[in-house]
Amino acid sequence: MVAAALAAIGTPAPGASGSDPAGSEPSQRRGALVDRVVFTEESNPGKVVGQIETGARHVLAQGITNAVIHRQLLNARQVTFAVSYGSSAELTLNPAGPALADGSLNPFGVPAIREALNWLVDRQYIASELYGGLAEPRYLPLSTAFPDYARLAATARKLELAYSYQPERARRIITREMNALGARLRDGRWHYDGEPVRLKLLIRTEDARRQVGDYVANRLEAVDFAVDRLYRTADQAAPIWLASDPAAGKWHLYTGGWVSTVINRDQAQNFADFYTPRGRPSPLWQAYEPSDELDEIAQRLERRDYDSSAQRRELMIRALTLAMENSVRVWLVDQLNLWPHAANVELAVDLAGGVAGSRLWPYTLRFTDRVGGEVIVSSPSVLTDPWNPVAGTNWLYDQMMIRALQDAAVLPDPFTGLYWPQRLAGAEVTIVEDTPVQRTHDWLTLDRQAEITVPPDTWIAWDAGAGRFVTVGERYPEGLTARTRTRLRFEQGYLDRRWHDGTRMSLADMVLPWILEFARADEASALIDRSHVPTHETFREHFRGWRIVSREPLVVDVYSDQIYPDAETIVAARTPVVLPWHVLALGIRAETSGELAFSSDKADRRSVPWLSLVSGPSLPVLDRHREGALADGYVPFRRTLAEYVGESAPARRYRALGEWRAERDHYWVGDGPFYLESVHPVAGTLVLARFPDFPDRSDKWLRFTSVPIPEPAVDGPITVALDESARFRLSITSGGDPYPPEAIRTVSYLLFDGAGVLSHQGTAEPTDGGWRITLPRDRIETLGAGANRLEVTVRSDRVALPRFATHVFATIPADGELPQ
Amino acid sequence: MTVSKPQTRRQRRGWLRDLRRLALFVLRRTLALLVTVLMGVYLTIIIANMGGRVDEIRRVQIRSTIAEEVRASPEFSDLGAERRNDLIEERVQLEVERLNLDEPFIYRSFDYLNQAVRLNLGRAEQMTSDRGSRRVRDIITERLPATLVLFGTANLLVFFTAVFVALRLSRRYGSALDRTVIGLAPSSAAPGWFYGIFLILVFAFILPVLPAGGMLAVPPPQGTLAYALSVLQHMALPVAAMFISQIFISIYSWRTFFLIHASEDYVEMARAKGLPERAIERRYILRPTLAPIVTSFLLMLIGLWSGAIILEQVFNWPGLGTLLFQAIGHRDTPVIIGGVVIFAYLLAATVFVLDILYAILDPRVRVGPE
Repeated sequence: MVAAALAAIGTPAPGASGSDPAGSEPSQRRGALVDRVVFTEESNPGKVVGQIETGARHVLAQGITNAVIHRQLLNARQVTFAVSYGSSAELTLNPAGPALADGSLNPFGVPAIREALNWLVDRQYIASELYGGLAEPRYLPLSTAFPDYARLAATARKLELAYSYQPERARRIITREMNALGARLRDGRWHYDGEPVRLKLLIRTEDARRQVGDYVANRLEAVDFAVDRLYRTADQAAPIWLASDPAAGKWHLYTGGWVSTVINRDQAQNFADFYTPRGRPSPLWQAYEPSDELDEIAQRLERRDYDSSAQRRELMIRALTLAMENSVRVWLVDQLNLWPHAANVELAVDLAGGVAGSRLWPYTLRFTDRVGGEVIVSSPSVLTDPWNPVAGTNWLYDQMMIRALQDAAVLPDPFTGLYWPQRLAGAEVTIVEDTPVQRTHDWLTLDRQAEITVPPDTWIAWDAGAGRFVTVGERYPEGLTARTRTRLRFEQGYLDRRWHDGTRMSLADMVLPWILEFARADEASALIDRSHVPTHETFREHFRGWRIVSREPLVVDVYSDQIYPDAETIVAARTPVVLPWHVLALGIRAETSGELAFSSDKADRRSVPWLSLVSGPSLPVLDRHREGALADGYVPFRRTLAEYVGESAPARRYRALGEWRAERDHYWVGDGPFYLESVHPVAGTLVLARFPDFPDRSDKWLRFTSVPIPEPAVDGPITVALDESARFRLSITSGGDPYPPEAIRTVSYLLFDGAGVLSHQGTAEPTDGGWRITLPRDRIETLGAGANRLEVTVRSDRVALPRFATHVFATIPADGELPQ
Repeated sequence: MTVSKPQTRRQRRGWLRDLRRLALFVLRRTLALLVTVLMGVYLTIIIANMGGRVDEIRRVQIRSTIAEEVRASPEFSDLGAERRNDLIEERVQLEVERLNLDEPFIYRSFDYLNQAVRLNLGRAEQMTSDRGSRRVRDIITERLPATLVLFGTANLLVFFTAVFVALRLSRRYGSALDRTVIGLAPSSAAPGWFYGIFLILVFAFILPVLPAGGMLAVPPPQGTLAYALSVLQHMALPVAAMFISQIFISIYSWRTFFLIHASEDYVEMARAKGLPERAIERRYILRPTLAPIVTSFLLMLIGLWSGAIILEQVFNWPGLGTLLFQAIGHRDTPVIIGGVVIFAYLLAATVFVLDILYAILDPRVRVGPE
């Protein structure tokens, strides 16, 4: 009865979500697997978890790092969660000195003391106790969840063991270095020039870093430093650690944190970013004094100045060692973010970005027990900034919703970050020789040439005065070369698809965004936008032109000097944006007439509304321009665009847009698996509905709904006589099922003796139903009697995250007598 | 009866004198209130900007945000360090100019004040309204209805219930109900949001029969009636929370107030004369206490303006309290000033109206020397 009453006034009874009986199998259906997705604003994650438990909500688009809510999640029977690894915590150290401007001593001006902090803190304790298990220890400037860490897993493991918790070693080094600095230990505290050495520790208060700060302070006090604990929020701390001169000594340590919402497949830049003055033009970075070797390697890695993957690997290994010796940052943990959702709901979750950063969620979201239905997603923010596809909102949560409304030509693998084709039939990447690029997938090809010449008819710039593209032949009569050519072959019938308002696509939808890219940075254009100019200039530095090779099937060539280590990433970066030209046309008219502006910056400078296609004061202005455009048959940049407008006559498009506006009350037209059904700004609610004309089968991306993280387990003898060989068995599973052997890239191992010294390393050999590690007698003999450790590292092709397993065994003398 | 000419002249002089005094009073009060508003608003500007220190924080934030955006963007990953830092500098400069942070704070503070007193609320620096407008007026007016409907309902309910019950209790002094209310009065020490958490727990999660928050069902229902019913349904818990939190102390307070007046000599005299209780209540208790009742009522009404930050957060109610919370978080000075300046004007206007009303309601209040 209560449920009926609630339903009568629009509140679904808990658990009631409705479903579409038609198309009961994902493979029989096209487009999205649910009928509607409702986004609603709620900033209290604990409450949302409770609502998911009662069935009133289904997904929370906010990562949870709170241990209390973690427990709540573990106790909730109707709620499960996905995990992402995008954020990390570290200790930022002030490297100035050791003598500061006021004559005081900064111990962290000495690299050896900075390095000693690695042994002073117990990262395992921080991860398991202070973060309540929602973190994994991190020692190195590489995220433990990203591909570079997996590529260097063996080296990483060695360094991790070398820098594991050894407080006595830390104390010994600190004592030695402090004495060398002239400091003296008196009454259990270090003194310098008769004054106690007081360390100012800036502790962030908003999250678990508060406890981390207290823990670090305790550890520093344990090695006889006096510590001032300065509890500060981000706003309060930033002027101190980021803006003040490090030599002024306003702080010594800061509990820093970093976030990445995408899987970063190339972290080589991190050494320059975090250890050299080139990282940022801020006082702290300018105080960094890396060794010449670290500086040179960081610079080479930053410039991608290497010839092969092997050379890059060598540079990375050396850089890791040097970075640990330098230790202007002491990395502590990679934090886990939990993304709750109903137990009967499934979706692809990005390993770095979680649910909010997932590109595949619109293609995979579904109820596991039925097809169709309505999913309610709670988001901390809805419509944070105005929505327009040119320079509108950039907020993570807005972008999450927008991704459901736009279809992309390529989509990233949520577990490896490598791109897969969505609207491409294939791609050919050509690079100049000696460029370190690799290809993983076979949907694209990678070739090398001695030189890549850009054809003269390629478009390279825009002439705002003449309203046409400038070709390479005109701009560079002497010819132009590029480092890459990317040929994008779109799928058959790519432009036969329809926009959400029912109009058929045309090449103009691809050409107009290109024109805007140039026109918005051109002083001669009415669309000039100062905020776009710096970014555009950077783009121009590597852009070498594009051209349409064929219209059906659509083939586009893009030339550029910009290189990424993965050919898949190069394709993704070159793929042009496609947007409905008739919607952009209204914005262009409104901006040209000075009534609206695409960007926040321009809107503020001109004191006009920031263009929003979905709500607010922009809509009446766009209404007027739609009527004007219909009356005039308006085509923006007509001289160039008219050729590509094709069948989609302006009148037809504007009329369809008018009907769309009348029906939906907004102007957001896309081509994604969902369309924007309705917008309720003040209530903080958006409704997305399944686009029935979406061309793909619904199960196209379903393979990405569960993370294939390998779970290795080592089994073997507990004791081995020194005159015997030993054999260890390794099983690799995922979710209880055997891991496909073809998906395993490498299984390597490290063997440490009783003193913790690396004795041997190698790779495991595949066997029927598992893997095997054989240690011959001579290897065992070199271990000597004692407790040894076998560390196994498993890398998969299907997920960036490497996994580890450990087996401890004792080696005993051949006569069987155990050592005393 | 005829009135002599000298008497008429005296009367006219008396009115003129009264009018002159009234005009002077109005002028003095207006000026005093204007100065108070100016001071209040300027103090808000100074405090909201921490005397200009917020500029420094913002510059650091802008630089940090842009540096991190550039660092994290694959688009710029192969830029040389020098070029990348140039790009960061260019973008920082644009943002600094957009926010006028290149002007000294002291000039901007007077500019803020000048615009505020003229009720030109200007543009927000960081925030946009839910519908996407940068105008502070739009940002505030968009949230106003939600606040008015929730807090108006709750406060009016509390006010009239409290006055009505208090009047009754003042006549049943010492009764079981009276003692119960006195006993429950300390329960108002806990704020509305505190009760809200329990109400949500019980009615939204344990039972669950009412929504845990928000203003409308998700998705919002079609049709006016369904829409109104949905709003009512979502108001139930926050209104109940506010009612529980305020009602007993309000009744206790008014009851005590009425008791004091009910024991005045003139009330005793009326009772001794044998006047009926209702007449005593109306003529001898309510009428002399009308001025404080009206004052309390009007202050309650303008108090609606600010909403209640935590209560709105707990119930996820899209009102002015949440807006102010967000504005403080964003350090969006124009929005903070906008909220304050309107409240200041409302308060000043209310005080002004009350001054006039006092003179009408209470003959003992006179303007100027006799």
